[in-house]
Amino acid sequence: MNYQGLQDLELLELVGEKDREALAELYDRYGRRVFALAARMLNDSVSSEEVTQDVFMSVWRRGGTYASNKGKFTTWLFSIAHNRTIDELRKRKRDRSRQNDDIDDHLNIESGDMSPADAAVAQSEYAKVREAMEDLPTEQKQVIELSYFKGLTQTEIAEKTDQPLGTVKTRMRLALKKLRNSLSTEMGAQV
Amino acid sequence: MTGSREENQAFENIAGYVLNSLDSDAEREEVEELISTDSVAQREHREMNETAGLLALGVKPLAPPARLRTSILDQTRFDAVDSTTEPSVSPITRFVQSGFAASAVAAVLVLVVAGTFGVQNSRLNNEVGQLRTELNSELQAVSALREELESSKTDSMEMVNQMESEMKKMESDFGSTLAQVSHQEQMVSELSVANNALVEALRDQSWLTYVAMKEGYQIESWLANQQAPSDASGLIAVRVVGNEAVFQVHGLEQPLPGHAYTLWLIGNGDPNPVAQFTVSEIGSATVSFLLPAPLYLYSSAAVTQEPIGKVDHDPSGITVLSAQTN
Repeated sequence: MNYQGLQDLELLELVGEKDREALAELYDRYGRRVFALAARMLNDSVSSEEVTQDVFMSVWRRGGTYASNKGKFTTWLFSIAHNRTIDELRKRKRDRSRQNDDIDDHLNIESGDMSPADAAVAQSEYAKVREAMEDLPTEQKQVIELSYFKGLTQTEIAEKTDQPLGTVKTRMRLALKKLRNSLSTEMGAQV
Repeated sequence: MTGSREENQAFENIAGYVLNSLDSDAEREEVEELISTDSVAQREHREMNETAGLLALGVKPLAPPARLRTSILDQTRFDAVDSTTEPSVSPITRFVQSGFAASAVAAVLVLVVAGTFGVQNSRLNNEVGQLRTELNSELQAVSALREELESSKTDSMEMVNQMESEMKKMESDFGSTLAQVSHQEQMVSELSVANNALVEALRDQSWLTYVAMKEGYQIESWLANQQAPSDASGLIAVRVVGNEAVFQVHGLEQPLPGHAYTLWLIGNGDPNPVAQFTVSEIGSATVSFLLPAPLYLYSSAAVTQEPIGKVDHDPSGITVLSAQTN
């Protein structure tokens, strides 16, 4: 079977039938994305590997129960990845055994075994999302950075930025809406 | 719903919900309740959820280690085995499934399962934390071991280099020693030859002295090379009574092929060959002969090389020993 020619949801259906090759194909498509997100948030390669493994094992176990009306596969996948990474971040806070230093966001794209076309798409998507983020007002951008990439709760953000909790909630909501508008223009069908 | 959606706390928390930044489970439950009942909230959630998902694309892709893919696929193999194993149905379960007091038992089971999961979750968290701590310790140990190995490797390389240098020096010394031994062996061989010559000379000298004493010989003449420096020497001893004589020589070179040494007694300018002889390896010879006339009638004696069996009246070869007779 030519797995590379199948759509994400077709592969996910095969994963639901415990087809390991289908999972391997999904990993080849999105493993770098998941690993990069975890590495961006955790700044720790070993933990990022653990998170990536957990995420794809979740896909393996829950792929059969996924309903397409829940949204795009990538939305679901990145949601799992983000939540799993947040769990890791908050566990670290509890343990206080590790320190999550601020990291440089400008990691180079690892081409690895990516085709030039895939690398170009990745670069384009990255540029559009970063541009949309840069277009946000500073306060809204800060809220997104602290919540999505640093894993802070709304209350923690309010304390860190010395803003009322309600203001944080409003900025968070407005930021997502503005991002949606920007990205729906830039990325069209994806949003 | 009271008031506008914008003012509704749960609706306001949808953004925090999709970003996983709500502070409490209660807030999350409120949002989930709202989403399940309000279509507008559902759309708001879906749109925000999709937007949040795109934030992951704002991170540059990063290739994980190649082993991770293999590790995941290996784990699915074990997971597949687990999932294909049908759990056995206990009598209690069948009792519960029968519907008898189902709701009450189910409620109890939910509490028990929830409690069990909570305990298991806590235990797993502890185990994961412990494993991570152990992994860090092992990584540190591996790092320390690697440093030790590097250090040992450096030391070993230095030792190997030093040993190679010493071996080369030993080889050089051994070569010199070998040459010295060879030279010493040659010297020993030469000394052995010289010693044999000395022993033979002493034996001859002793014999001559013995003969001279026993038989009444008298040493009459000492011969030497008068023309060139040489180690060769000789003597003539004559018996006191009668015409018997003995000639002894040392240090002569081997004669030419087809030649032998000839002893001449010369009287009134007339050479008279009295004996022809060869010499040993060390150039020695002892020859007995009869004097043609009393020795005092000869003025000198000489030794020359002459062809074997072809001795003329006059010496044809170079004189290697000569002396005046007494």
